Amino acid sequence: MNQFLSLLLNGISLGAIYALIALGFVIIFKASEVVSFTHGSLLLLGAYSIARLSDSIGFLPAVLVGLLVTALAALLVERLIINRLRGAPVISLAIVTIGVDIILLTELIRRIGPDILNVPHPWGGDSVRIGGVGISENRLIAMGVAGVLIVAFFVAFKYSSWGVAMRASAEDGEAAALMGIRQGRVSALAWIVAGVLAGVAALFLVGAPTPGVSAAAYTVALRAFPAAILGGLDSTGGALVGGLLIGITEAMAAGYQEQLSFLGRGFGEVAPYVVMIIVLLVRPSGLFGTKELTRV
Amino acid sequence: MRAGTRLRGATVLAAAAVVAVSGCSTRAPESSGGGGGGAEAEDVTTDVGVEGTTISLGVLTDLTGVFAALGQDITNGNTLYWDENQVCDTYDVELVVQDTGYVPQTGVQLYSAMEPDVLAMQQTIGSPINTALAPEFESDVMTNFSSAWARTLTEIPGTGVLGATYDVELANGYQYLFDQGLLADGDTVGHIYFEGEYGENGLAGSEAVAEARGLTVIPAQIKSTDQDMSAQVTQFAAEGVDAIVLTTAPTQTASAAAVAQASGLDVPILGSNPVFAPGLLQGPSAQWLKDHLYVASPITSWDTQPELLEAYQAAYPNTTPSLGVVFGYAMGDVMNQVLDAACESGDLTREGVQTAFGELSDIDTGGLLVPIEAFETGVSPSTQSFILRPADVPGGAELVQDAFEGELSADLAG
Repeated sequence: MNQFLSLLLNGISLGAIYALIALGFVIIFKASEVVSFTHGSLLLLGAYSIARLSDSIGFLPAVLVGLLVTALAALLVERLIINRLRGAPVISLAIVTIGVDIILLTELIRRIGPDILNVPHPWGGDSVRIGGVGISENRLIAMGVAGVLIVAFFVAFKYSSWGVAMRASAEDGEAAALMGIRQGRVSALAWIVAGVLAGVAALFLVGAPTPGVSAAAYTVALRAFPAAILGGLDSTGGALVGGLLIGITEAMAAGYQEQLSFLGRGFGEVAPYVVMIIVLLVRPSGLFGTKELTRV
Repeated sequence: MRAGTRLRGATVLAAAAVVAVSGCSTRAPESSGGGGGGAEAEDVTTDVGVEGTTISLGVLTDLTGVFAALGQDITNGNTLYWDENQVCDTYDVELVVQDTGYVPQTGVQLYSAMEPDVLAMQQTIGSPINTALAPEFESDVMTNFSSAWARTLTEIPGTGVLGATYDVELANGYQYLFDQGLLADGDTVGHIYFEGEYGENGLAGSEAVAEARGLTVIPAQIKSTDQDMSAQVTQFAAEGVDAIVLTTAPTQTASAAAVAQASGLDVPILGSNPVFAPGLLQGPSAQWLKDHLYVASPITSWDTQPELLEAYQAAYPNTTPSLGVVFGYAMGDVMNQVLDAACESGDLTREGVQTAFGELSDIDTGGLLVPIEAFETGVSPSTQSFILRPADVPGGAELVQDAFEGELSADLAG
């Protein structure tokens, strides 16, 4: 039972981080109709910046600068590339983001070098026990911060003028533009928010139980893709549910690998995608995605 | 530090005399005579990759892909070696370095482009690229050194694996744990391993030891991109393992240690040589790793090679001395022993080099690598391993057990 609860708690904490990344995908998709593949390298950029700066300026200032760097990098991608290609086919934009991702990733891998860079989190590798189940403080704080950020985002999305503008743009871009909504500004802000969310996710991803910045951190962003897609790529609530679902699925499938060995070794890896495919077969637009209506 | 000088002494006089009168390097496989009278018998025949007194060796490394850092370090080690040494005290070696990005297709293309200009391959990084190039290596009679220790690589004719294969290496690691009383017959171990040749070969070592010593192995396969070992270590804790074995990369070592520490799982961790990186000692589990991690390795630690460390830091200031550099330097040394032997036989053609490679035995790199018996197809080239442990020394690891052979190693070696 303890093993199950431990896996569940770890799955939820991992899912909370996935949800932050998936939320970034969704915000960008809603604001600029781009499926952004730059998130992996943005995440790594945030982690790298925090790790490099922590020694010289201290942990907290390094975190703030790290978030600023990822936000700025996301903004630059939007301003210099996506904004200038407005109107281009969606698939072209997605492929452009893959190109940007590869360039940024290559440079980061070169800079990270042979080592594992460490972020000196004040909570280090400490852990707490909740009802006999251990979890790292890092993951516990991650869950709390992710929860606060997600609630704050939902509130802003619903009540702020930016949120209303974004929802209007996502609903009908042309009509929104005619109503005076500056889509460029909405889109830029969306990329900044997604960049910050990726930076926050990076901060916790490189702490216990996965300490250290290495190129492998990049791939975590890719795992958040099935989370965003199964939740519904245009649904912010879906990103949250999708993230948790993928996190728990992954932890359970890896933890019960022995019992699931009849499905082949390494089932934990494919389990999130199996769940995604099953969900999409039942609900092609994802759990909470907007259904495409075609009138004939 | 050893510099491949043993054979040199024997060959210097003959080779130098020949080179002095003949120039020694001819493009076609023919002897260069003239002027030396009876020197013909000592002439050195060459064909590809030798121009004047310069030998060109190929380096297919990864400078921009997932193993970019390791590739850079090994290449630095290769370069440092050849900056300091010559073949037969006569030939300078020029490295033709190309970056595969760890993509086999790119590796095949780059090899095709460099093949007409190089005598042999000083380094080819990555099991997939070595495997992809195996037919070409065979048809081109190319002598090659890989920077991996999977058993499958020993099947490629002319390719040298420098140390024990991963299964033998782990068997030696287990032996050390048994000898130290850290593991006993009938215990349970959890083994986290990468999918693919590296991980499978490591797991084979665990399974062989398990069969011989009555261990129960709980295998947990992961991908190289998996970072979080929470689920696997939680499972091990639930099963009450007595040791954790890793055939992974340093990222997974950091995570496994963090989770084991957090869950109070106070058991030793045994790792294949790629599990360690100096940066692990800056992480939150540094002390825990110093207390629990044992690494079986074909490469010695920096603390046993102070002169090499000094030379490396002078040549590459502001870089972290990793084991990759020691390995790169040792690769140069073994290649030099092959080329010296070929030169001594008067045949620096590809055929001659490969013959020398096949005949080389009891290879000693002055302690940089474990003693290598010979390069035979399908056989682990060595039965020995060093045991390293994390410590606050340059390179982050210290030698706690000199090269030794475990009870099962000879049987496993093939």
